[in-house]
Amino acid sequence: MPEFLQFAFMRHAFVATTAIALMGSLVGYFVVLRRQAFASHALSNIGFAGAAGASLIGAEPMLGLLVFVMGAALVMALTGREMGERDISVGMILMFSLGLGALFINLYSANANAAIGILFGSVFGIDADQIRWIVVVSLVLLGGLATLFRPLRFASLNPEAARARGIPVRTIDTLFLLLVGAAAAIAVPVIGSLLSFAIFIGPAAAAQAWCPRIGAGLALTAALALTQSLGGLVLSYYANLPASSCIGALSFGCYALSRLTRRFA
Amino acid sequence: MADNPISAAVEARGIAVGKGGDPALSGLSFRIEPGSFTALVGPNGAGKTTLFESILGLIAPRNGVLRVMGEKPRRMRRQIAYVPQASQFAHDDALVGREFVSAAFESHRFGVALPRARRRARDAVDAALDTVGAGNLADRRLSTLSGGQRQRLLIAQALVNRPRLILLDEPLSQLDPAARDWVVSVARRLTERGIAVIFSTHDVNPVLGACDRVLYLAHGRGCIGRVDEILCEATLSELYGTPMRVIRDSGRRFVFEGGQTSPLAEAG
Repeated sequence: MPEFLQFAFMRHAFVATTAIALMGSLVGYFVVLRRQAFASHALSNIGFAGAAGASLIGAEPMLGLLVFVMGAALVMALTGREMGERDISVGMILMFSLGLGALFINLYSANANAAIGILFGSVFGIDADQIRWIVVVSLVLLGGLATLFRPLRFASLNPEAARARGIPVRTIDTLFLLLVGAAAAIAVPVIGSLLSFAIFIGPAAAAQAWCPRIGAGLALTAALALTQSLGGLVLSYYANLPASSCIGALSFGCYALSRLTRRFA
Repeated sequence: MADNPISAAVEARGIAVGKGGDPALSGLSFRIEPGSFTALVGPNGAGKTTLFESILGLIAPRNGVLRVMGEKPRRMRRQIAYVPQASQFAHDDALVGREFVSAAFESHRFGVALPRARRRARDAVDAALDTVGAGNLADRRLSTLSGGQRQRLLIAQALVNRPRLILLDEPLSQLDPAARDWVVSVARRLTERGIAVIFSTHDVNPVLGACDRVLYLAHGRGCIGRVDEILCEATLSELYGTPMRVIRDSGRRFVFEGGQTSPLAEAG
């Protein structure tokens, strides 16, 4: 066993990160395909307000985060007309939530560390209970994604033809946003809301630049996400840097490489 | 019976369709046969899209009877393929043609396709690409394709589920003349397989040689018949309710309203 896996906190971090990297990046593949990166980013950040609000009323921050994110996903689905046209409503919802978060922290001046921790994540502070929760929810969400796979794929690529074929495009869109919301809620305490792009968007965007097939693209997405996030953990351990920063840097580097190689390909 | 060979692909008897207020179309009757090519012509706002939506069962007619292959439209959705305008696509730039076409295959089913279904999908995609002559586009990224090539892939995508009726929504808009001829000949080829094609266009000239009949919509009303029956001054004057002129020039037709000097629709 490598040296860094001798510590329980490292083993926990590895398991949690593996689950979140696989689930988050595969959900993220469809986020990128549907050009909903902004909605995904907003959902990750909205959780911060929920966690702060829950701390304020003495509830479990995770619960507040989940309620806020799912509520916001639902509002986005109901207010955004068509996919790709909802940037403004998403931005307004995000702005309002962050304002609420700032208010909650201001009111709850005693100890806002739990909420602040959500912004950057605390991958090395995960206990065994949380791991179980993260793994189970990740598997459920992957199952949901697999269930929606065929209608979601068609509705993403050709929504009008899908609607004509009787596929409930609006319902699929809502379910997918809820899926993204749940994925963000589970990933944010680990990777951090500000850095969720590293898992949700970075690997999928690089994979789509390199691989023009969906099946192979999904496999590449998962492989990149695992490499970057576990690589980030190891790097963080040996270089004594924050894990989120390392994962973010690897994700960014890989994305930049994909843009460069595509441009000169 | 849906499979009754004598039932029309689409039959409308006195339908009125619209989403609110005055119906966009009223008193419309027509019959479209399997394996026929119908040009759906009319100026913008004449109700072409509304008619498509009612054939797809997305809006129910307020009056009259509308049947698709002898059944209510909603029940026949899986037999119909709708091809939207190609200009709307931006989401798929990263994918290759084959991937785009195959996305439609059995897309109403939940879950991931099993290996057997994937083999069937591959065969259906190959056949569809072959039908529209787009085999060479299978491995090209969509971002590298021209408008006409994208339109072919859209038609191929519509074919993978073996529809019996295809609705093409302004497939010629924003195409150059050579690409227009391609798309028209691809659509004509589909009728040889017994597929009924309804081809909406504001310019009838590119499809004059290919279409069996013209369904002309104007002012919320419509009439159907052979090209010469419809694109003549008597029929169009009655439809528009005002004197119309039809000018023929080297095989093309242009429709003018009364004393106006610019054509209403290019030939429409």
